[in-house]
Amino acid sequence: MPEKIMIIEDDPIIRTELETLLKGNGFLPCVVTDFERTVRQVKEEDPRLILLDIKLPGKSGFSLCSEIRSFSDVPVIFVTSSDTDMDELNSIMIGGDAFITKPYNTAILLAKIRSLLKRAWPGRQSEGLSWHGAILHPEDGTLEYGDRKVELTKNEQKILYYLFTHAGAICSRADIIDYLWDSRLYVDDNALSVNINRIREKLAGIGLTDFIRTKHRQGYLI
Amino acid sequence: MTNLLCMVALCGFLLLGGNTPDTVVFILIIWILILCIGLFISYFSAKRRSDRLLGMAEELEERYLIPEVLEKPKRAEDQMYWQMLKMAERSMLEQVENGRRERNEYREYIEQWIHEIKTPITAIRLLCDNNRSDLTREIMGEVEKITQYTEQTLYYARSENTQNDYLIREIRLLDVIHDAVADNKYLLMQNQVVLELPREEIYICSDEKWLRFILDQLIVNAVKYRSEKPMIRFLTEDMGEYVTLSVQDNGIGIEAADLLRVFEKGFTGQNGRNVLHSTGLGLYLCRKLCDKLGIRIRIESAVREPSKEQRSGTKVTLTFYLNHLIHQVQD
Repeated sequence: MPEKIMIIEDDPIIRTELETLLKGNGFLPCVVTDFERTVRQVKEEDPRLILLDIKLPGKSGFSLCSEIRSFSDVPVIFVTSSDTDMDELNSIMIGGDAFITKPYNTAILLAKIRSLLKRAWPGRQSEGLSWHGAILHPEDGTLEYGDRKVELTKNEQKILYYLFTHAGAICSRADIIDYLWDSRLYVDDNALSVNINRIREKLAGIGLTDFIRTKHRQGYLI
Repeated sequence: MTNLLCMVALCGFLLLGGNTPDTVVFILIIWILILCIGLFISYFSAKRRSDRLLGMAEELEERYLIPEVLEKPKRAEDQMYWQMLKMAERSMLEQVENGRRERNEYREYIEQWIHEIKTPITAIRLLCDNNRSDLTREIMGEVEKITQYTEQTLYYARSENTQNDYLIREIRLLDVIHDAVADNKYLLMQNQVVLELPREEIYICSDEKWLRFILDQLIVNAVKYRSEKPMIRFLTEDMGEYVTLSVQDNGIGIEAADLLRVFEKGFTGQNGRNVLHSTGLGLYLCRKLCDKLGIRIRIESAVREPSKEQRSGTKVTLTFYLNHLIHQVQD
């Protein structure tokens, strides 16, 4: 069940792209287009988290936030291009949970969303990802196949996580490296090859061979 | 002069009236005596007055306001000068005020413009992130540079401002380093920079955004003045009384003669002449922001010499004093 995230943002391109980004990362985005009835929409949709711009047509993000706070404790992330510390202070005072300035790094934004969701709605276990009988458990960093389990390092976990979430599609090396950097793992091209080889050895150890296939000049495929 | 003329006239009159020369001489001596006493008194009082005025001017912090503290003189001639001083002061104050207003308006315009430009930059970043390919990665590298330059402009506009616009909070040092790396992700990836990050969990009290900007500048410098196989090492150390954060690279280094001046505004030095796009602003802004935040910034560097086996590189160390907040309150 994907978590619903509401986007309150007046720039149409940023709005649609945020929607795409959140959808692509396993969330369920919903957008506000009629800024006259934002608060009512928040009540109706009851999102798990709100991304809120400060400069909006009609009411400002600050007054919207205080109105939302009067009936809900939903986490609010302020996303704005005005980055004076006065604004940041204001956002904290009226109950904003985080303050991110444009132009934001999407990896940082997503990390913030995930950590706030985890804090606000604890106890939600992410279930393992499975593909062709292999099950990846991201929470304890193991891979299960048949009745055998193998421990993974942080790099290996993240590489496998990316491959599992893109199962059936070819993942280019550049995309994987990109993803690893976004996960704060600064791996270069050579290190990626080393890691892939190590993963293959580990998988072979639990009887899983030819799980990761190399597509020449394209990337990897599971 | 008037006195002399009067004396000559009186002498003539008295001699013609049949007085003896002795009487005339006596009268003249008395006259000169009284005249001298009078002159002395007026000299001393004038000197005392001018000393007082000069002293007042010395004490005044804004000397151009002197006409304000001067009392209106009694003599007609002095009054004219006084009037003229007043007029000069008024027109000068108008000029200064105009200049100040124009500068403020310009600064506000720059800040406004930067806020506006951030919306399209954000849109480009999102578009690229949602459609990752080799092309969008190239674009992102360029967008990173645009972001960097706009941030630099914003902080430059702000650094001229006397009011301090920061928010001191407890921050996790490692998070700021990760965020600064993320800011320069494509620059670092394209140049295949090897990164080394600390493992310690250290918390400090500072302004997160300013610190991130400072680290951004240091990372960009490390890449700009890189050598073969570039490497950036971040080191943190908790010394109890203070915490240090060092950014160390294995780049081309800075000549000793230039090292003392790198924090000066507009200074580019030997490296600036060899590498294009040196603005001479990055380190200047770092220093300025560090001063405002009470952070000590220090730079060490070594240049490789052909004769020696010495490794080149630059290390910038930031020192956060745990009690620096107290000093700031006093400021």
